[in-house]
Amino acid sequence: MSDLIPAPPANGAPPPTTAPDAAADVERLGAMVNRALDRLEQTSAFAKQTARGPLLDIAGRLLAKPGGAEALYARAARIEASGVFSGTDWDHPEILQPSLATGTLAHADRATATLELLSELRLLAVARRDLFHPRISSEQAQHFLAQLLALNLNRLFGSQGEGERANATLNAAIRNLVGFIAERIGYGEILACLSTEIDRILAQRPIMVDDVKLMVTRIAACLHDPAISSGGAGLSAARLVSALFGPTAGCREDPGLEVYRERLAAMDDGALQQEARAFARAMHDTGLVSPYHPVFLRHVSAMERGDLIGQALGLSSTGAEAFSCYAPLVKSLIEAAITPDTTQAVYGLALLLERGLLFDPAIGPALWGHIGLEPCPAAARTLVAAFGDRQPPATLLLAGTISVLGQPLGIGQGNNPTCQAARALSMWALAAPDYLLHLLTRAARDDDIVMVFEGRRLSSASLSAGLAPTPPIDVDPVSVVLVSHLDRIYIEMGRQCAGRPGDPHAWVNSAMHGWWVGQDTALAVDLPGGELAATADLFVRLFHGLYHPLYNGNKPVTHPQPAGIAVTDSLGRFIGWHAITILRVGLGPQGDMRVFFFNPNYDSGQDWGQGVIVSTDGNGERFGESSLPFEQFTARLYLFHYDACEEGQSDAVPAETVDSVLAMARATWAAAKAPAA
Amino acid sequence: MAEKNPDKGYVALLGWSLGAIDAAERFDRRYVVVAPDWAEPYCAEHGIPYVPWNFERLNERSMEIAEKLRDMGVDVAIPLFEETVEWAGAINSVIQGNPRLHGQAILFRDKALMKRRAQLGGIRVGIFEEAHDRGDVIRFLKRVNQTLLKLDGDPNDPIHVKAFDKAGCMGHRVIRTADDIDTIPEEEFPVLMESHLDGWEFAVEAWIHNGKVQFLNISEYVTLGYSVFVPASPELEAWRPRVEQEVEKLIKTFDIENGFIHPEYFVTSDGTMYFGEVAFRPPGFKVFELLERAYGFNGYQGLIVCFDPKSTEEEIAAFFPKEVVDATTHAGCFGVYPRRRVVSNLEIPEETENHPYFESHELTAPMENKVTKRTAFGTHWGLVYFVGEDPGTMRDLLKHQEDLDFYV
Repeated sequence: MSDLIPAPPANGAPPPTTAPDAAADVERLGAMVNRALDRLEQTSAFAKQTARGPLLDIAGRLLAKPGGAEALYARAARIEASGVFSGTDWDHPEILQPSLATGTLAHADRATATLELLSELRLLAVARRDLFHPRISSEQAQHFLAQLLALNLNRLFGSQGEGERANATLNAAIRNLVGFIAERIGYGEILACLSTEIDRILAQRPIMVDDVKLMVTRIAACLHDPAISSGGAGLSAARLVSALFGPTAGCREDPGLEVYRERLAAMDDGALQQEARAFARAMHDTGLVSPYHPVFLRHVSAMERGDLIGQALGLSSTGAEAFSCYAPLVKSLIEAAITPDTTQAVYGLALLLERGLLFDPAIGPALWGHIGLEPCPAAARTLVAAFGDRQPPATLLLAGTISVLGQPLGIGQGNNPTCQAARALSMWALAAPDYLLHLLTRAARDDDIVMVFEGRRLSSASLSAGLAPTPPIDVDPVSVVLVSHLDRIYIEMGRQCAGRPGDPHAWVNSAMHGWWVGQDTALAVDLPGGELAATADLFVRLFHGLYHPLYNGNKPVTHPQPAGIAVTDSLGRFIGWHAITILRVGLGPQGDMRVFFFNPNYDSGQDWGQGVIVSTDGNGERFGESSLPFEQFTARLYLFHYDACEEGQSDAVPAETVDSVLAMARATWAAAKAPAA
Repeated sequence: MAEKNPDKGYVALLGWSLGAIDAAERFDRRYVVVAPDWAEPYCAEHGIPYVPWNFERLNERSMEIAEKLRDMGVDVAIPLFEETVEWAGAINSVIQGNPRLHGQAILFRDKALMKRRAQLGGIRVGIFEEAHDRGDVIRFLKRVNQTLLKLDGDPNDPIHVKAFDKAGCMGHRVIRTADDIDTIPEEEFPVLMESHLDGWEFAVEAWIHNGKVQFLNISEYVTLGYSVFVPASPELEAWRPRVEQEVEKLIKTFDIENGFIHPEYFVTSDGTMYFGEVAFRPPGFKVFELLERAYGFNGYQGLIVCFDPKSTEEEIAAFFPKEVVDATTHAGCFGVYPRRRVVSNLEIPEETENHPYFESHELTAPMENKVTKRTAFGTHWGLVYFVGEDPGTMRDLLKHQEDLDFYV
């Protein structure tokens, strides 16, 4: 278009619009919702779907604004009457299920998820008797919402997941609505679900407990609120609250760190011993460390009271022995790393001593080296981005180092696609802690680590980003510093294997992790299509022959072994390939043969569908371990390493066992699916 | 359901449009939906009056449906889609005893006949010709550019190639070079070729009763195939008197008594108005929805009241608002095409979502990652709706959307 008589306006960018405040947004979107509701109300019953879209789109945006849930709640009755649910399952609220609703919120497209949210909103109105629904009672609605909240705790407290970042508006809407419902249903109602949930997570003893602390803090607020009746759940919840906010007589009423310091100065020996024992009890009982605990440790360390340090750490004779041999090192670690901002390192320190790690001749000197280690500017920046600047980066990193050495199975990948790196860290913390400290020094000081792959030196500093474009910041300090380096090297090793027949892990895993990883690789899938290989029966036999005590001559697993599993959802549908570590195989308390393994996920208690529920507690697991019955585990396994010379009595495995394992695989992840990503 | 007026007859809706059926359901005329067999279960379930009919080519059975509707008391058949325009003409010529109506419908269905008729009526049209093969297209492209006194090597002025009988942008291609011509699939011939008019293109929706325009809307295209808004900006509305004259010429030339037309025009740099083409059915791009948003009246109900020969003057006067002045706002929409070759997610750009004019969108997540290459003006992936006071802001906003990625 040019030279028009009626000149068209210049096609520029729209004029910058000033960002109106939230209230104005809510008002504007509220008016748009009203109009969409008008239209939907007018629309004939058979054509509701033609007018549903705008309402869902606008309501979703309104919910994402602060105050939006409240504005929509005021319209709950109109929404129900408008016919937005007609012709859908939501028109029958009596058949809705909290678990399905949770799935819809997590996986459905935005319009469907918003419809689910609107349904939740009108159920809240039903629960609070602001709305009468002929097909669902107020009590039923209340139960539904309480369970939904318990299932969506992560929405209330947790950090954002990968998918959540991508759908910012929808997830803001879900968060806002879940929070809105929780405030109205009352935390008292969901307290029971909440404490069970926390106990379950703590039983895995993660290093990162920020989410748990947030939940406990919410609970603490509820317990102090006289309006909330916490019922039977109160007791278990109170235990967590006290572990965090008042584990000892000296800080029972959460007086604040300053007051507590003054009290300590005035305590006699008997009182100090009581404090020490109470701290240790609360810490080992829950895995949570109160901020008063570091104050106490620093106080008694300054007093040169090694006995009180040992008591406050709750050391057994093994730990006490290690402490007495390396007392100056331990005191220096306390001095340099244990602060009220790095409380969990206390637990790490106690377990590090209990593991007898200090008796390894390389660890003592290596840790002395770490006490003086100053992270380079790049590492320091990431540490500050992840943990704030209340403590210097060196302190944060050292505290993290102590935690990792004490809790190798407490490492998690966070919301990052770097399960491989997290698994490697955990494996080294378990089996090669000196190597881990070496890598950490290089990464923190030089911003570079070097590994040799088939004779070639790979330097992380010269490699481009791996699976995660930026260093993760929702993980422990050691991961924050090391993961992006490991990630890059791992990807590069894979790249160098490109074009070779077979799975690249066959070369990468042993080169990356250590000498103890088997040099041979068994694979249960045909790589291009991702379906079960024709030789899958041999795979199952081989795994039995190498790992099952009844077929391998009762040989225990000596070193953690990397393995790959096909993760499925609660309906048994394939989700993706995942890196885990096989730790040991043994009998559970019920007498069943179980595989105990490490899953770098934050929460390993997962339902993989078709009755396969990963146990993290109560089946003989040590803290941080996951376990499954041997056959169920084998049915999800798709890759493991071994040394061919070790092969046991694979032939002795009964054919029925092999068939049932393969049937489980075929019914779930090996069913027809999209090609492996 | 609205109270039905027993003094009026039935209207028949030709084709399946839930929006149109809903509008009829809420209007005071009794109606019947004429649609293919697959609509039957839905109509039965929801009590929608329905007559099954498969709209293929007119044949010797065509009389059957016309007589059936006449016997039911249907006064008029209303076409909802390009494919049912000829059927409506044929049926109405039987029902209303006016054989001319069928011939008239054929004019609307064949773009070449339509242009000739317009030309005969003294309406200004661009240069056009039918093409039966690629050779015809090459000759036309050469001749048009010769006429423009282009030298060898000068870039060609484009020509447009359209299917004779398809709605809107379906099958519409812009041809600049011989290579472009090779991209036209054999099966699309014969086609209509037109010279390119450099100018301001816009569309008009005119509801007509008793040979008079009852409501005339000018739809402002910001970019053809991408965006449109109503009512038009004051700059374009300044042309309204001329547009009304032109539409009256069309009514005379095509001998339209009752109904609805949707012509397209160009205004060139010298201020000449050229007629592009005209359709005898509701426009695409949800213009009826935009009109409802801006004026509050339902375009389908407008069709019913105008098509129905038994409608009274008062009824019609009461139905339509006054153009432009009665509009409460400007309503526009933007058709989204993915801009990348590979897409995996729908992501409404933040600046769009936060713009005060943004109302809603009907985009869905991509079903396939790979985006089919657009050869002709393809089909957009969904519309994004905007509403606001200022036509200038609206125009810039719609234009700006073309630079944004909705699919990433």
